Amino acid sequence: MRMLLYKAWIETRVRFASGLIAVAIVCIFQIEQHAWLVAMWAREWADPKGYHFSWMPLGIHEYGWYLWHYLYDNYLQQVWALFAILFAFGGLIRERSGGTVLFSLGLPVSRRRWLFSRLAVALLESIALSMFAIVVVVIGSAIIHQTFSLQQMLLHTALMIAAGVFLIAFGNLCYTLFPGNYLSLVLTLVLLGAPYLWLQTYMQHMRYLGRSTWLGYFDFAHAMAGPWQLNWSSAPWLTLLLTWTLTAALLAVTVVHGDRIDY
Amino acid sequence: MTAVIETESLKKTYGKHEAVRGLNLCVEAGSVCAFLGQNGAGKSSTIKMLLGMIHPTSGTGRVLGHRIDKERESLLIRQNVAFVAEDKRLYDYMTVAQIVRFTKSFFPGWKRDLEQRLLAQFELPLDRKVRQLSKGMRTKLTLLLGFARGCELLILDEPTEGLDPVAIEDVLQIVVSLAAQGTTVFFSSHQIAEVEQVADHVLMIDRGQLVLDAPMDQVKEEYRHIHAVFPEPVEERDLRLPGVEKVQTEGRTVSLTASHNVDSIVAHVRMLRARSVDVLPVSLKEIFLEKVRARG
Repeated sequence: MRMLLYKAWIETRVRFASGLIAVAIVCIFQIEQHAWLVAMWAREWADPKGYHFSWMPLGIHEYGWYLWHYLYDNYLQQVWALFAILFAFGGLIRERSGGTVLFSLGLPVSRRRWLFSRLAVALLESIALSMFAIVVVVIGSAIIHQTFSLQQMLLHTALMIAAGVFLIAFGNLCYTLFPGNYLSLVLTLVLLGAPYLWLQTYMQHMRYLGRSTWLGYFDFAHAMAGPWQLNWSSAPWLTLLLTWTLTAALLAVTVVHGDRIDY
Repeated sequence: MTAVIETESLKKTYGKHEAVRGLNLCVEAGSVCAFLGQNGAGKSSTIKMLLGMIHPTSGTGRVLGHRIDKERESLLIRQNVAFVAEDKRLYDYMTVAQIVRFTKSFFPGWKRDLEQRLLAQFELPLDRKVRQLSKGMRTKLTLLLGFARGCELLILDEPTEGLDPVAIEDVLQIVVSLAAQGTTVFFSSHQIAEVEQVADHVLMIDRGQLVLDAPMDQVKEEYRHIHAVFPEPVEERDLRLPGVEKVQTEGRTVSLTASHNVDSIVAHVRMLRARSVDVLPVSLKEIFLEKVRARG
């Protein structure tokens, strides 16, 4: 098992390094923008003719809310989701295009073990990526002299990962189903990314306007972000349960389909 | 002798194309069995079915006593079988040392001494990435990764493809020495001269069906060309005797290919008043071509 994890790590380490850079850029940019955005919101709020959104006082006074909104409810989550999907990219189907699948299948390793070792590495890398974001935020916030609840940060990270496993499983199923090498990646990103981003943007707009819609049930991004003050009782347990059930179902379909493929 | 590979009515279809059509194979332990056939004859499909890489459409098979159509048993097969595929591409992002370390971790019986000997013999640089190796070097590395596994059964699909004559000779010597140590070798090849050099049993497949299954000695001893010249043209049906595989008549000259029963056939030809009868040995290549052409 150790060598399978090692192989999956070698295959994904460049993606992982890219993910670290992307996460660092997103976190540093948002921290750097904090003072400027807060000043702008304060001006708007003070101006009777300016924009007056209900979240503005929170944005101005709560650095924790700012971090949650820009990182866990928006950009960090998007970057993390993108890389989680990229980490899961690969496997026996891809090896078939690369010509190494017969060597891999000639080893005494079941197809399921190949699958789960790769998914385990994708999950570990995704966890490491989100932990790295915390480190960047801690250092960056110290530099701009802002304080926040580390516990909240850890809880949001845990929620993002707990719900985000669905993306890894869904992406992996797409890679198994779609033909071609990079075509499958593009199709997966379009199939997963387009509705995810569109719904996230649309539902955030609706929330700003104080409206609700049935599309909210499919707002997976909001489920990954949770409420800004997350605790045991405010955690979206029902959503998580549904997400894990769907993840298990997707993995089961991937396993059954993978077992039937002729190489 | 125990059979290490057995198949019964093994069939594989891809859509409407029948790649393997009711194959009945038996490879005995300790043998060096050559598996011959044209491109697309069904050799690779058969090997892949034996190793669980593709699923049989129907029929059954066993390798080392384990069923080939059960995933759990297929795993047991691959623990004791070293397979070298026709496609010899390896993980090109690994170095030679990394891929050796990776592969050996799956095989408790890994032969470290053989690994070291082959690394030196094939002049494989440990620190070089697989992507930087030439095709021949990659083939050598793939063979090393197969030979050093220390398995009971070695399945090789076109093992010498892309190698120079010296390397081919080296590889054949290794195959012979592994066989001498008790490893059963089942290999497919288009290089019939190599097959004649090392195999002690021949299986020939054409369009998914077995057309020859015989020990090499029997093939060499019993297959004969019989050339006869008659005073008058003879009917082809007069020469259809047991053991006659092929009859070719050109006026008064008749050319027969016999797989067995040669003495009786010669006696029969003489009885038909042939003026001259010549009995000549047949090479494996000629047998292969005739088997394939006869069916074509």
